[in-house]
Amino acid sequence: MQHGSGEVRGSMATSASAQMALHDDHGSQQIQNPGLHDDFFDQMLSGLPSAWPELGNPKSPWDASAAQKLFRIDLTGKPPDESQPEAATEGLRYASYDEATMLASRLPQSQGSGGSSPTGEAMMLQLNNRHILPVVVPLQAAVGGGVGESGLLPLPLTLGSGGAADPRIIVETPRDEMDGPYKSPDQNGGEELYSGLGGSIRAAQAATGQHFHHPQNHGGAAAPAGVGQGPAASASSGGGAPQQKQKVRARRGQATDPHSIAERLRRERIAERMKALQELVPNANKTDKASMLDEIIDYLKFLQLQVKVLSMSRLGGAAAVAPLVADISTEGAGARAGGDGAAVGNNDSLTATEHRVAKMMEEDMGSAMQYLQGKGLCLMPISLASAISSAACRPSAGGLVSAPPPPATSAAAAAESPSSSPSASALTVQSAAAADTTAPKR
Amino acid sequence: MESKSYTTGSRDNANRNLEGSKTLMASHFLRALFRIQQTSTTRSSFAGRRRRIRRAAYASMAYSAGTRRAWSRALLRKLRSRARLRFPRRLSRAARPQRGDTDQAQVLRKLVPGGPGMDYCKLLEETADYIRCLTTQVRLMQTVMDSISS
Repeated sequence: MQHGSGEVRGSMATSASAQMALHDDHGSQQIQNPGLHDDFFDQMLSGLPSAWPELGNPKSPWDASAAQKLFRIDLTGKPPDESQPEAATEGLRYASYDEATMLASRLPQSQGSGGSSPTGEAMMLQLNNRHILPVVVPLQAAVGGGVGESGLLPLPLTLGSGGAADPRIIVETPRDEMDGPYKSPDQNGGEELYSGLGGSIRAAQAATGQHFHHPQNHGGAAAPAGVGQGPAASASSGGGAPQQKQKVRARRGQATDPHSIAERLRRERIAERMKALQELVPNANKTDKASMLDEIIDYLKFLQLQVKVLSMSRLGGAAAVAPLVADISTEGAGARAGGDGAAVGNNDSLTATEHRVAKMMEEDMGSAMQYLQGKGLCLMPISLASAISSAACRPSAGGLVSAPPPPATSAAAAAESPSSSPSASALTVQSAAAADTTAPKR
Repeated sequence: MESKSYTTGSRDNANRNLEGSKTLMASHFLRALFRIQQTSTTRSSFAGRRRRIRRAAYASMAYSAGTRRAWSRALLRKLRSRARLRFPRRLSRAARPQRGDTDQAQVLRKLVPGGPGMDYCKLLEETADYIRCLTTQVRLMQTVMDSISS
């Protein structure tokens, strides 16, 4: 399922790492789930690595472990105080540690009231506001409901934008937790429980509205009687919660085979990349994926064309790269004009060049033209040169033109070869007024 | 003066403003430009010089990206093989014909170096980095040209 929000996707990536880290914790703290979950997990593992370079959200380990702590408290009825030292030992890196304790302290309150939404919603909203829980996993499987207690309802805690995925994750976590203590060998039974829980979760979702992905919720159709029963592992749609889930739970009515999961993962990754591309390319307000691709392709072609054009217009400028590279203090110094006129604005170099061109023109017009072009210069009629210079309001426009004795009908005027850069066109006027000996504009 | 910032050799203050990769790109490109200017005479064709400058641009792009990226690796391979006077490549790089590719994906593969060898997801990722590097290179070339013209 594609999520519209990039945050969700981003958070998914981070949650993946969180989940990976969490898995190690889980291994030590709870009984491993048999068989079915491990297969999903392996598939998740194989699919995730490419997304991992983007991971590294320091928040996620906290969220996973904190949520885990919360759940465990719920299930086993431990006093909330235990959550704190355990959380501390987990090495939580998240800054708002107090929120975890607050959650933990609130859990027992809601324990007795099976299925009472308000507390869960309140906690959820509160946590949502604080954006504690980052992404939820790429795990698409929506697991319905939390652990039979209402304490699981806070699981829908998610970032404002990342709500859709979280519910699924949250439900997943309780399932993992539940499997341990309950040891339900019957997956189907667990499924019913979860669907029942999904109903309660859906109630919470309806109340909160935004955070839950409706298509995912249709799975939790089981009777609400299932609520309050022990958690069990199964797939259904619903609830978000801190990502702790490591297994992918397929939505109800959807195949849980590895191929579809990998497909979903792949689609999410592609959507992620598309979003990154959208930020790079201008005019990226297209909502359609196909038109977005067209835009990307056009922009890429445009950039390559720009490189080509810039390399063309650099022919004349290449001669002047020497001062840049050689780190000579005064650019365009007349001393350097001996070989190749360095800066076009330099009066001496221009005069020398003009003399050379005049001589070459007497011998061979073609080579003279080539020489000029090599410098990025061109011949133009005097009238045109004066027109250009007058257009730019240069005072002594005719100075350059009259200086060299024009052997042919058209005088050699220095003008920058046409280029796409506006500064180059300004240079034509500038060179026309070079006789002014004004310092070249920098 | 802005042109001073591109005087390579010494990392002066202006250069420190650039990121490491941008500085690398700029120095490499400028040195290549200088070499081209030195080796090309007035008789050498302008098309040849254009091609050389363009190749220098792509070379500095690939050099700044290094071997971290698939596109830069493919680009370096292409540049070096051309320098070796088009020897027939012994191993044709694994260009598995991707099935189920949209037309746009095929076009993208042709545009991005190393395109044929990756799957769609990786192609998008490489395209993003390639575009980023291209924009930096274009901006660099524009700045150099402006500083030359001023």
